[in-house]
Amino acid sequence: MTTAADVAVELHGATVVARLAGEVDMTNAGYVHDQLVRAVPNGASALVIDLTATRYLDSAAIALVFDLAKRLRRRRQALRIVLPAGSPLERVLTLTEVGSVAPIHSSLESALAG
Amino acid sequence: MTGDSGHELRRRASQQAAVAELGQRALAGTDLDELLREVCEAVARELAIEFASLFELTGDGRALLVRAGHGVPSGVLGGAVASAEGLPGYALRADGPVVVRNFADEERFRPSDIQLDLGIVSAMAAPIGTRGRHFGVLAAGSPDFRSFSGDDATFLQSVANVAGAAVERARADDLVRDSERRFRELADSAPALMWMTDPDGHVTFVNEGWLRFTGRTLEDELGATFGSSAHPGDREALLDSWASAMAGRDEFRAEYRLHRRDGEYRWVLEVGVPRYEAGEFLGYVGTATDIHERKAMEEALRASEHTFRELADHAPVMIWTTDAEGLVTFVNRGWLDFTGRSLEEELGATWDLGVHRDDARAVTADWERALAARSGWEREYRLRRWDGQHRWILERGAPRYEGGRFAGYVGSATDIHERRTMEERLREVYEREHRIAETLQRSLLPERLPLIEGIAMAARYLPAGHGEAIGGDWYDALELQDGRVALVVGDVVGHGLRAAAAMGQLRNAFRAYALVESSAAEVISRINRLAVSGGDDTIATVLLLLLDRETGELSYTSAGHPPPLVIGGDEARFLDEGRSVPVGVSEAGVFREATAVLEPEAALLLYTDGLVERRDTPLDQRMDELSRVAQRGGQGLEELCDRVLAGLLGPGERGDDVALIAVRAEVAPVLRISVRLPAEPAALLGLRRRLARFLHAAGASEAERYEITLAISEAAGNAIEHAYGPGDASFQVEAVVEAGELVASVRDTGRWRESRGAHRGRGLTIIEGIMDGAEVVPEDGGTVVRMRRRLAARVPA
Repeated sequence: MTTAADVAVELHGATVVARLAGEVDMTNAGYVHDQLVRAVPNGASALVIDLTATRYLDSAAIALVFDLAKRLRRRRQALRIVLPAGSPLERVLTLTEVGSVAPIHSSLESALAG
Repeated sequence: MTGDSGHELRRRASQQAAVAELGQRALAGTDLDELLREVCEAVARELAIEFASLFELTGDGRALLVRAGHGVPSGVLGGAVASAEGLPGYALRADGPVVVRNFADEERFRPSDIQLDLGIVSAMAAPIGTRGRHFGVLAAGSPDFRSFSGDDATFLQSVANVAGAAVERARADDLVRDSERRFRELADSAPALMWMTDPDGHVTFVNEGWLRFTGRTLEDELGATFGSSAHPGDREALLDSWASAMAGRDEFRAEYRLHRRDGEYRWVLEVGVPRYEAGEFLGYVGTATDIHERKAMEEALRASEHTFRELADHAPVMIWTTDAEGLVTFVNRGWLDFTGRSLEEELGATWDLGVHRDDARAVTADWERALAARSGWEREYRLRRWDGQHRWILERGAPRYEGGRFAGYVGSATDIHERRTMEERLREVYEREHRIAETLQRSLLPERLPLIEGIAMAARYLPAGHGEAIGGDWYDALELQDGRVALVVGDVVGHGLRAAAAMGQLRNAFRAYALVESSAAEVISRINRLAVSGGDDTIATVLLLLLDRETGELSYTSAGHPPPLVIGGDEARFLDEGRSVPVGVSEAGVFREATAVLEPEAALLLYTDGLVERRDTPLDQRMDELSRVAQRGGQGLEELCDRVLAGLLGPGERGDDVALIAVRAEVAPVLRISVRLPAEPAALLGLRRRLARFLHAAGASEAERYEITLAISEAAGNAIEHAYGPGDASFQVEAVVEAGELVASVRDTGRWRESRGAHRGRGLTIIEGIMDGAEVVPEDGGTVVRMRRRLAARVPA
């Protein structure tokens, strides 16, 4: 019962888009982290994490985003997040200042445009 | 061939031999700790390396404990590293062997404290177990630079695989011990006498009932004691039949006299069946039933039949005749002696004279019917004897003819009172024995259904209505860690104790598998493998259904079982997809899973084929009847069960046993939560589901539901993270909505500590940011986090 979350990856040019569906908590944050790290080849310019279908994130999931941002920064790759306006997750991402390491966009088009 | 490659080949051969030897040790059931030590020694020896250590993943998956080692200082054993860090953590994530040429150049991860302490330069690690079921990591390290080959890495992984197999076997043994413990608990509360033996036939267990009966102590009964309490006259035959059952591992059945504590020998019927776990013969399990009364009566009956024949030969026979109109014209001396009346009194229309009130009407009617048809008859009824006692007599009548014309009847009667009474008592005893068997069956079923929040349930079990047959039908319900509810109904093919024992085993297996597998089809596949490998030809039809209480989503798999019925407001439909063969039929059985959604307030009915199968009616027609009866009438689940049973079975005997269970997601809103959960990460998902249901019922918006659930889960996560050890710690969550304000608390037995590392304080930041008020206070040796939050007023729709 460790994977209540599902990671689907697709390439848009040099940008990797990872759609995160389901729930991420301390039981599966390690797995999701692993999937996301594997999804980004050295040649990619950016990773976009799409949270449109994400129903739950806890502090372990937020920590994962910070860790990922640091990792990508070392490799000079950008990290951006897609969160539709009005998402229930909005307040928590603001509170934890996720935007400071990964700019939050309200649509995939905007995130792809950088 | 160069000297080097010759050396290399010898090394490989030696490594392969080491793997093979460890494999044999693992299969031989070597003590796990000893084996894991040997694993480390073999690694150090075969790789000629300083350090070998074996890490075990803790129950919560967050840390790796050093379970065994070679060359490592004793202080390191039992120490821990975080599972996400270092080489061991990386090997887990990589799910394969990992080689580090030199830690100084390593970029994939940082060395752990242990590696730094030991001054390790080159190292290898391999995960034990497969992804999702990792047990731990096997690692080897050297303080000098080493260049490991691919073969070295393969060797390490092979040894890790052997260790994984040993761990799995040890866990399976634990599971067996656990299921035996449950059996003992059950057996001690059962009314019957029960026992178990080991594979050599030595008694390893007798239940309380047995000890009460024999008056001996458990110590007296254990060991090579089979048959020691049997009557000396029965012992030899008993031991013979036991030996021959053991030799063929057949079902064992014997009737013998067993010594009771008061010194009397009582007749018992003993039935034993071989038991298997994962295909391995473990001995016998059996029951003994006191059949003394029946046995004594059968004895007496045989004796009385004998006497009856003797008496009948000598006793004055009672004889009478009638004329063509049926009026009694003559009775003999024997009849008069019996009734004590005069001949005058007996002549004429006197057919019901002296006949027992309860039999008089039938006797007269019979008589008139026979007379009209001029046919013969035979009947038993009670006739008043001269001393006022009503005695059972057997009367035969035959038409007599004079010169080709019907002239009336000639009849004879005999006193069969003793035999008849004996037969009646015998029937009562048989019935009582049947009730005992039935009680045993019921004791194997959950006594009452578990109380599961948010679910209403009702269940029935009706044993087959004949003989001593105990059926193999069962039902069960349990709450899974992800918050879903598993409902099971099954039917083991066959009857008797063997079917009941197989049923008990399957039921326990379901409980175990349902807790570790997330899909209905996967649970059934495992049950199938268990049934096929069991070696005792268990075949069963099973339906497993997983219900999400919150959304009503169902997933289900039917292994040859009749489809469950969904009863909505004014319609009923069968869930007839996800069908496969019964379990136990084929090792290659493929089990499909189907999904459906249970509408709010709809009821689900799961049942066994005894409800719908009837020889004289096509199954389709019976299913239609079930569907019709189920949707007609009130919606109460108890009422639904009663209605369905009455409507489909009607009066009279059942040919098969019937189990059914009715379920509905409860509509009553949950406005308070008070729950104690184990301090394990896996408990979080179930907690979120409960909170979501509760907050939904309290009218919280989607964002409020998420935020409040998150804040409470963060507090719970901290309790879990800092629990004193896996397995024995728990935490308590309380939440209530009063006057539009949510008040919640999470209470544990440890101190509040924020996670270490760069993200210190994020959990508390979230709680304080989301809730209107939050405080963390020590209380009763633990910590309680109190939170409150006002819910936004909802705009009426």
